[in-house]
Amino acid sequence: MTTPTLKIENLTLGFKTWSGTAKVLHGISLHIKKGERVALVGESGSGKSVTARIVLGMLQQLKSARITGSVEFEGVNLETLKPASRHALRGTRMSMIFQDPTSSLNPVYPIFTQFKEVLERAQPGITNEKARERAISALADVAINEPDRVLDSYAFQLSGGMNQRVMIAMALANNPALLLADEPGTALDVTVQAQTLKLMSALVEKHHTSVLFISHNLGVVREFADRVYVIYKGNIVEQGPTGQLFDDPKHPYTRALLSAVPRITGGGIPDLDDDPSGFTAPLATHDGYSERELLA
Amino acid sequence: MIVLIGVSLLIFAIARVIPGDPARIALGPNATAEAVAVLRDKLHLNDSFLEQYGYFVVDLLRGDLGLSLYTNRPVMADIAQFLPATLELVIVSGLMMVAIGLPLGILSARHRGSWIDHTVRLVTLLGVSAPAFVWAVVLMLAFSYFIQIFPIAGRISDSCTVQTVTGFLLIDTLIAGNFKALGNAVWHIILPAFALALSGIGQAARLVRSNMVETYDKPFIEMAQAYGFPERRIARRYAFRPSLIPSLTIIGLDFAAMLGSAFLVEAVYAWPGLSRYGVAVILRKDLNAIVGTVLVISAMFLIVNLIVDLLVSIINPRIRLSQRAS
Amino acid sequence: MKKTLVILTRNPLSLIGLILVGLVVLSAVFADFITPFPEHVGAVVDFSNFNKPPQWPNIFGTDLVGRDLFTRVVYAYRISLILGIVVLAIAVPVGVAIGLAAGYLGGWTEYLLMRITDVFLSIPPLVLAMSVMGLLEPTLTNGMIAVTVMWWPWYTRLVYNLARSEREEGYVLAAEVIGASKLHIMFREILPNCVPSILTKMTLDFGFVILIASSLSFLGLGVQPPTPDLGSMVAEGAKYLPDSWWLTVFPGLAILIAVFGFNLIGDALREILGVDQ
Repeated sequence: MTTPTLKIENLTLGFKTWSGTAKVLHGISLHIKKGERVALVGESGSGKSVTARIVLGMLQQLKSARITGSVEFEGVNLETLKPASRHALRGTRMSMIFQDPTSSLNPVYPIFTQFKEVLERAQPGITNEKARERAISALADVAINEPDRVLDSYAFQLSGGMNQRVMIAMALANNPALLLADEPGTALDVTVQAQTLKLMSALVEKHHTSVLFISHNLGVVREFADRVYVIYKGNIVEQGPTGQLFDDPKHPYTRALLSAVPRITGGGIPDLDDDPSGFTAPLATHDGYSERELLA
Repeated sequence: MIVLIGVSLLIFAIARVIPGDPARIALGPNATAEAVAVLRDKLHLNDSFLEQYGYFVVDLLRGDLGLSLYTNRPVMADIAQFLPATLELVIVSGLMMVAIGLPLGILSARHRGSWIDHTVRLVTLLGVSAPAFVWAVVLMLAFSYFIQIFPIAGRISDSCTVQTVTGFLLIDTLIAGNFKALGNAVWHIILPAFALALSGIGQAARLVRSNMVETYDKPFIEMAQAYGFPERRIARRYAFRPSLIPSLTIIGLDFAAMLGSAFLVEAVYAWPGLSRYGVAVILRKDLNAIVGTVLVISAMFLIVNLIVDLLVSIINPRIRLSQRAS
Repeated sequence: MKKTLVILTRNPLSLIGLILVGLVVLSAVFADFITPFPEHVGAVVDFSNFNKPPQWPNIFGTDLVGRDLFTRVVYAYRISLILGIVVLAIAVPVGVAIGLAAGYLGGWTEYLLMRITDVFLSIPPLVLAMSVMGLLEPTLTNGMIAVTVMWWPWYTRLVYNLARSEREEGYVLAAEVIGASKLHIMFREILPNCVPSILTKMTLDFGFVILIASSLSFLGLGVQPPTPDLGSMVAEGAKYLPDSWWLTVFPGLAILIAVFGFNLIGDALREILGVDQ
């Protein structure tokens, strides 16, 4: 079998505080195969976003962070890499899309300046003309009709949906192996979010990019992901293929989460109890979808 | 503009409500009552406040600030003579503030939480914790007496003769091509300018640090880090540039405040600027000269703030673009 | 409040600040008991002991008429602190009230009050205090007036900006909806939310009032002899540099220590209370 693009094993994360260590991740394992789109679903504070940041190596810089376990990228354990070679992967082999596109773009430079900086990661010393050419074709991929105008604008002059497309174009410009999408477009309104996600979906399929899709929005996950991991308070509580997991949730927490999806016909949003005993039940896997079986 | 009118009214009001008869003070205790009365009349001191202000504004528009009762010369001429020395000192200090304060702030913010940050914060806090005259005395003691590498006082050695063109020695010597005198003038200005700049350096560094630390929490910094942009570039282009916009206004205020603190440094280094004149006319209740001096300094202050506003609008694309649109 | 104090003592820097300020305040309060020559505050001369370098019992040395410098520095602290308290006690309420009115009421009130404030803010602070001071007789009371005149606009500007943003907040709208009076909203709803910023600024300003007051007297426009004052001591001593260095160095250091102490506490408060600059 081929090496998975990303393989996380028994990852733990704690933050050292005045009164001991606060545990955030309690040993999670997940993997993404080449071209696979995997969702990591959970409430805010469950440990979704920190996972993505550990993969990029951004949390390791914090003095207070305590990390154990392994993160393998294309078969290489990232902890064994020198900081410089690890840093070299960012923006080139792996990239990221953020929650709020407009505030994720530098407000004092036009889009093109930042786009060029992204392209420079893979191609240092790229000329302005060449960078512009590549930026224009990348923007065309995300269905932007006036690429020149967009490149010369500032983020605050563009709509949120437009910025989100710019972000997607930037994220895929260097043709990364792994795309980390952290609640992409949650700050946008629902229709715009759906449109841009469709675009992103089509593009990653075309490029065979592996995606770690982090979200609390189950509707979006169902639409977008091949496989789902459900995370609750730093533990993966259920994993399985998207269809099966949604049709037949096995873990009490997943069931509660699914019933919390607002439905137009229902009686509003039911509350999730803070910590019912059932939520801490052991990991539930769907047949043939445990880590061991999938990686065998 | 409204503010400048307000300033002139305020200063004028302060100058007129105080007790004591300026005519009597000018002529001295031995003058006859008639002489005092004549001078009062000549100075319009017998008219109402508004009329007096009216005379003052009319004269002001003609570039006439009246006669100084202390030097017996037009106040305008006095100020023109002393202002360049003060401005030269303040401008050099301002440059030091920017050239040293900003890099210190950036350094501190980049290494926030580390010993570098703590050291910079402590040193800059010390810088703002003493008035300029204390630093002037300390620096003089250290570098003019203890280690004798800088001159004790003055703008330039007597042995150097420079023809006055602009009144700015650094420029005049350059125009004359007299590099020996230029070097001498630079050598004289370093210590007083640094003493004046110290608190500004501290303010600028602290301000830039705190604004940058705040910016470092913004999503676009995280994005830049996630894409692996070099740390130096993130510090300069992603953290510093956006932080400069709110910092610049305050730095401008600090720069302008140096016009006031310059008085303190000039007194220590016997710098022939507005200070001695200002203090002398204040102590002698020389109304025209006080009003003129304060007005000119306030005008400089406003000009500096205008320049800063202009700079901010150049740096901040939001303002620049909205101006272009309108 | 108590919690804030506890945090202040935990952080080494703010602890140093607390200690410095504590020392300054205690020495000023108990000046009569800790100084060796309390009578040297006034116009005393002792020519047998004049201009002596630091030695026992004159640990800071003596001045040109033989007075103990340590005694005079400690009494100067007392005067600086009284000046600081009086100036802030007048400038803060005035500045805050004007700022609240301009920020909350808006319209013509806002325009008029803020233009007046701008006028005061557009004269360099020291120059404004100097001109007020110079035109009045140089006494301690007038010194307080001069510094107060230049100080209130800064509080107006601070509170104005806060009040203007608070005025759109939900709790203010809610109070308006239930028909609370304007005065109630200004002082009971908005003001409490400005307190952390005001407190922080006051702590920092206590140091800066001392600094400005000493600058005034340094120029000969402040407290007059024989009343001891740190600024005029430095000015007097600067004439006798470098031989009689103690005449300037100790009063200068005294200013630095007091202002530095207040700044350390103010800085820590800003972080604890989460106040922007």
